Amino acid sequence: MKLDTSGLESTAPHFGTSCELFSGFSAAPSFDLPVTTDFDGFQKESIQMVKPAKGTTTLAFIFKEGVIVAADSRASMGGYISSQSVKKIIEINPYMLGTMAGGAADCQFWHRNLGIKCRLHELANKRRISVTGASKLLANILYSYRGMGLSVGTMIAGWDETGPGLYYVDSEGGRLKGTRFSVGSGSPYAYGVLDSGYLISYNTCIRYKYDLSVEEAAELAKRSIYHATFRDGASGGVASVYHVGPNGWKKLSGDDVGELYYQYNPVSTSTVEQEMAESSST
Amino acid sequence: MECVFGLVGNGFAILVADTSAVHSILVHKSNEDKIMVLDSHKLIAASGEPGDRVQFTEFIQKNVALYQFRNGIPLTTAAAANFTRGELATALRKSPYMVNILLAGYDKETGPSLYYIDYIASLHKVDKGAFGYGSYFSLSMMDRHFHSGMSVEEAVDLVDKCIMEIRSRLVVAPPNFVIKIVDKDGAREYAWRESVKETTVS
Amino acid sequence: MSLPKMSRRYDSRTTIFSPEGRLYQVEYAMEAIGNAGSAIGILSKDGVVLVGEKKVTSKLLQTSTSTEKMYKIDDHVACAVAGIMSDANILINTARVQAQRYTYAYQEPMPVEQLVQSLCDTKQGYTQFGGLRPFGVSFLFAGWDKNYGFQLYMSDPSGNYGGWKAASIGANNQAAQSILKQDYKDDITREEAVQLALKVLSKTMDSTSLTSDKLELAEVYLTPSGNVKYQVCSPESLSKKLVKFGVTQPPA
Repeated sequence: MKLDTSGLESTAPHFGTSCELFSGFSAAPSFDLPVTTDFDGFQKESIQMVKPAKGTTTLAFIFKEGVIVAADSRASMGGYISSQSVKKIIEINPYMLGTMAGGAADCQFWHRNLGIKCRLHELANKRRISVTGASKLLANILYSYRGMGLSVGTMIAGWDETGPGLYYVDSEGGRLKGTRFSVGSGSPYAYGVLDSGYLISYNTCIRYKYDLSVEEAAELAKRSIYHATFRDGASGGVASVYHVGPNGWKKLSGDDVGELYYQYNPVSTSTVEQEMAESSST
Repeated sequence: MECVFGLVGNGFAILVADTSAVHSILVHKSNEDKIMVLDSHKLIAASGEPGDRVQFTEFIQKNVALYQFRNGIPLTTAAAANFTRGELATALRKSPYMVNILLAGYDKETGPSLYYIDYIASLHKVDKGAFGYGSYFSLSMMDRHFHSGMSVEEAVDLVDKCIMEIRSRLVVAPPNFVIKIVDKDGAREYAWRESVKETTVS
Repeated sequence: MSLPKMSRRYDSRTTIFSPEGRLYQVEYAMEAIGNAGSAIGILSKDGVVLVGEKKVTSKLLQTSTSTEKMYKIDDHVACAVAGIMSDANILINTARVQAQRYTYAYQEPMPVEQLVQSLCDTKQGYTQFGGLRPFGVSFLFAGWDKNYGFQLYMSDPSGNYGGWKAASIGANNQAAQSILKQDYKDDITREEAVQLALKVLSKTMDSTSLTSDKLELAEVYLTPSGNVKYQVCSPESLSKKLVKFGVTQPPA
């Protein structure tokens, strides 16, 4: 019989790998190695398979009435558009949304996983998890898998006891709290519109600020996504906009960006044709 | 790009860090606080990969707190620095933390001190130190203008000189900085130096 | 000591409480120490004094070490032992390892109470986990650290420990403890502490005359330069002290 003397080991100094604080809730995760002779080549190939899915524009921002979350809906593999109707805004629970950029499977899987963990938290503690807590949960998981090929760039947006919340989380382990973020290949374009605003009439300029109405905010988000899809070839399809308020999220719109083009650039009657009409009448 | 530096004055130590969260060409955030208050009389500033930076400094902070709960006495700054170094060293041959650290603290017996710890786990006790692209400018500025026994006003003046030099000479200069101080009264935020204001939730 | 019949059913297992709420094996271990050579520790304002009684088993026995009851754990901590020496050796070794590990991690000496606590955690483990017997050892720890200065701790086989101004372990420890309680004064000097310890030991030891070959004396104190020092008293100077304090008559 082997005696279990593990309880006898002293607990006094922190020494070597004694990261006791960690071992409790996150055992080191690992993947089974694929059966292949050329492992490096396999790894490169699989990264290439995942990478094209990065072509995305997503954004989210906090304002007076809550959080606005918006995204395009295109999935591409290199130059090929594999879908124009992807749901890039993932509904974690009625009060929390996640956005998807990077590997579609990775994002979907880990958001569902997060959904489970959030529900379990709710059942155990009889209250909804905070956005801070949920995002930290996801960040810790992604951090534990760092360097293993996951590709996730996400925003966790929601409403909790402290009000609106917004975090950026990625597969490198980064987690940032903020008031506005945009992720994906189209994000620089989206930031451009979001930061500097756009004209709705000749003298009013709406730019990102805290004091917006839901309508103004939704329009700003839609515009940002639209302009990103206009310039970024990997973004396109439908610009969907969600709002999260004290009573949970609500989808506000989902407009085909092709149609938005004509909405934002209405066809005006050509002056040349009028001239010709005039000349013909005489 | 990243700028973290600090110095020891008469009865206090001061740490400065940029507050930009950068991803390739994008600045995601310009008010990210990179200096953590480790315990009542310690500050830890870190530069490096964002994930590692947060995870490692939180790990150290939690262990320092655990020590205090278990033993009823706080770790000295020297002990905390050596502990931090040890953790980096053991991680180095497994999965290294890509973080460089400046650890400042104040102890009753030894007064203020500043420790320089890099990601390959070397530890130096210094009276001025810097990491990141900003170090090329701030180090020479501090070499020129630092003297032992600086007052808080003199030190902040030097810090501002460093910030101005970084802002004017570094191509990828961050817009905003945070300054924190630790002295006999504890560790605390001293000031922000902002040239771009981030919209904040009230 | 006569035990109730009931004990029979519970005393073969360390992990089981008897219906009266006792842990017999632990009590037996303490009993074993009651027969061992005694040791006394006294805290003074400028140091800690440890005095131990040597049990000379045979004239033919060659002792390899200068001390058999006093052990240096680290530069700033020492201990006196009462009980089974083979058990004590294991614990002393773990204590030394713990102290070195601490300095390795933090580059500074281990606070005395933490060292005592870590050792008592080990002792406690042997009163709880199945198939193991407790350590038949009591310790007196004398040390100095920058947080609390000079300290004296006493520990028993159950893993209990406490800080004391004066404490005794081993044979006749109750008698010694009551004399200490009577004669101990706050703010005594190290010299007075040595005198008190020798006096108490001379009264509680079985032998009629106290000689230096039956005794050990060790002190922990600060040198004028502020370093901690552990010093064992040589037999010669111990003899002189015995005479000086009037515990024994000078040899004719």
